Amino acid sequence: MAHDLGFWVLQALNALQLSMLLFLLSIGLTVIFGLMHFVNLAHGSLYAMGAYVAASLAAVGGYWMGFFLAPVAVAGVGVLLYSGLIRRMRRAGPMAQVLVTFGLIFALLDLTRIIWGDLALAIDVPASLSGRLTLLGIEYPVYRLFIIALGVAIFATLAFVLGRTQIGAMIRAGVDNDCMAACLGINVERLFFIVFCVGCGLAGLSGAVAAPLLSVTPDMGLQILIPTLIVIVIGGLGSLRGAIAGSLIYGFVQTFGAVLAPQLASVLIYALLAAVLVIKPVGLFPAKG
Amino acid sequence: MFRHTTLRYATLALLLAGALFQALTAGYFGLEILTEILILAMLVLALDIVAGFGGMVSLCHGALMGVGAYAFTILSTSAGIAPPIAMGGAVALSGAIAWIIGAICSRSHGIYFIMATLAFGQMAYSYVFEAPIFGGDDGLSGIRRLDLSLIGLNLNDSRTFALFCLVLLGAVYGAAVLILRSGLGRSFSGVMHNEQRMRALGLTVWRVKADVFGLSGMIAGLAGTLAAQHIMYISPGLLTWTVSGEALVVVILGGLGTLVGPLVGAAAFVVLKHEISGITPYWHLAVGLILIGVVMSRSNGIFGWIEKRWGARLDRRLADATRSQDQKEVTTDA
Repeated sequence: MAHDLGFWVLQALNALQLSMLLFLLSIGLTVIFGLMHFVNLAHGSLYAMGAYVAASLAAVGGYWMGFFLAPVAVAGVGVLLYSGLIRRMRRAGPMAQVLVTFGLIFALLDLTRIIWGDLALAIDVPASLSGRLTLLGIEYPVYRLFIIALGVAIFATLAFVLGRTQIGAMIRAGVDNDCMAACLGINVERLFFIVFCVGCGLAGLSGAVAAPLLSVTPDMGLQILIPTLIVIVIGGLGSLRGAIAGSLIYGFVQTFGAVLAPQLASVLIYALLAAVLVIKPVGLFPAKG
Repeated sequence: MFRHTTLRYATLALLLAGALFQALTAGYFGLEILTEILILAMLVLALDIVAGFGGMVSLCHGALMGVGAYAFTILSTSAGIAPPIAMGGAVALSGAIAWIIGAICSRSHGIYFIMATLAFGQMAYSYVFEAPIFGGDDGLSGIRRLDLSLIGLNLNDSRTFALFCLVLLGAVYGAAVLILRSGLGRSFSGVMHNEQRMRALGLTVWRVKADVFGLSGMIAGLAGTLAAQHIMYISPGLLTWTVSGEALVVVILGGLGTLVGPLVGAAAFVVLKHEISGITPYWHLAVGLILIGVVMSRSNGIFGWIEKRWGARLDRRLADATRSQDQKEVTTDA
């Protein structure tokens, strides 16, 4: 196939943009799992909630209000969930957790339908980020570049916090061995709470960021859930490196698969996941060696 | 190992009586609901065998059911094979696919097993959704029901079809009990309780897991062929992971690892769904809250809860009986 450079750059940018969106979602989920051994299937519903809150706020106070307040609102929902449900389910087995959060998906799905209705909402790209930029001979929407930049910025921040600060060291210690961390005087329970809320906030943020690209519908959380789970299982649960690697693999395989081998594209990523699980059952970069 | 207690026999008899009563007296709508319950019951029975007795919590059973439905449809319409043979072929195919999935996933446990089966289920879904011979999003129609006019039955009548499903469900239940009581089923439960010990005893663990998973897949495939004949139309929606999730919900609502419980769960789930969607369009909310409540209550579903209470009373009565017998012996000795 003869494709010029512009084609490859364009697709690479598309892949990067998808990867960064997934990274924002999966990092929260993966650290929550790594630290708490808690499987939160309702993470996708929080993302949908972020998109809805952002859309509502954008209608009132413009895009940036939604962008900044939606993560806060979703983190607030996270606080409610943690104190009402998650804390009690911490010691239950993975199946009970999967089922409780599956029930939560049902409940949150209908709650968003009750509050915002069944119709898709749309939200406009802010004026400062609309338009296109010429890059290596191709034109690319500024907003998508903004998503890539945001993903990179969040990755850098998290890498710094997790790798270079005391609270990061505490989180890593908790992921590695929570009993031992607790023995060393770390308040693991409070750490869990903070990480859970930050993870929910990031889910809300990715919802707010994705809202102008996709239409905001009640089932958007269900649609994104499977890709997110694939990302964290390929990457390995609990690690930042795994989340970014998994996101990049998913984004590139999905995007290039769709343009180069359209018939195989949808099966390709699942086959890849199955292969990873067979060869390395705990993913490529698990937090625990 | 699976055992029938008095309570389990009584519940089975009650369910059977209820189903027969409904099948003989209900109108068209009631029969449709009954058939829906029977088909769902077959699917959750398949899931309970692997999840309840082997700890293999599968999220691909919906997809296996879909494979059965699609295979039956393709074989009986496009390929022009006689429906009974098509049914057998569909069951064999879903069993074979389930065996392969079980063999591949036998090494993973817990959440990784759930994710791996989810991946295989989604793979089947995307393939069916994309491939042109499966009709894509539009699905396939023109499915004919089994022709049993030789023995004087007309399955196009909903009452006969419901009874036909009931007979098949009974056969499947018997097969499930036989599987669980066989050497294979006992080894399977042993693997759930202590995989290392079973390996030390010389068991090929992955074979046992794959074999039971394959048998369970055959049951799911049979449920799929019935679902296709019931609605006479199939779409990729049959294979989505939420179908598997709902099946898991039914197993949990009923009582995991009791075999009888999931049947109760299936009946409760379908009736609840129809009752609630009659009142409000938001029946997912109610089901979600009930599910959260059941799991948080830490009891093993509806039937598990009943069994626990009944079992406690039975134990007490037995203890009382033995105590009074002891006293009698003491007096005779004196």
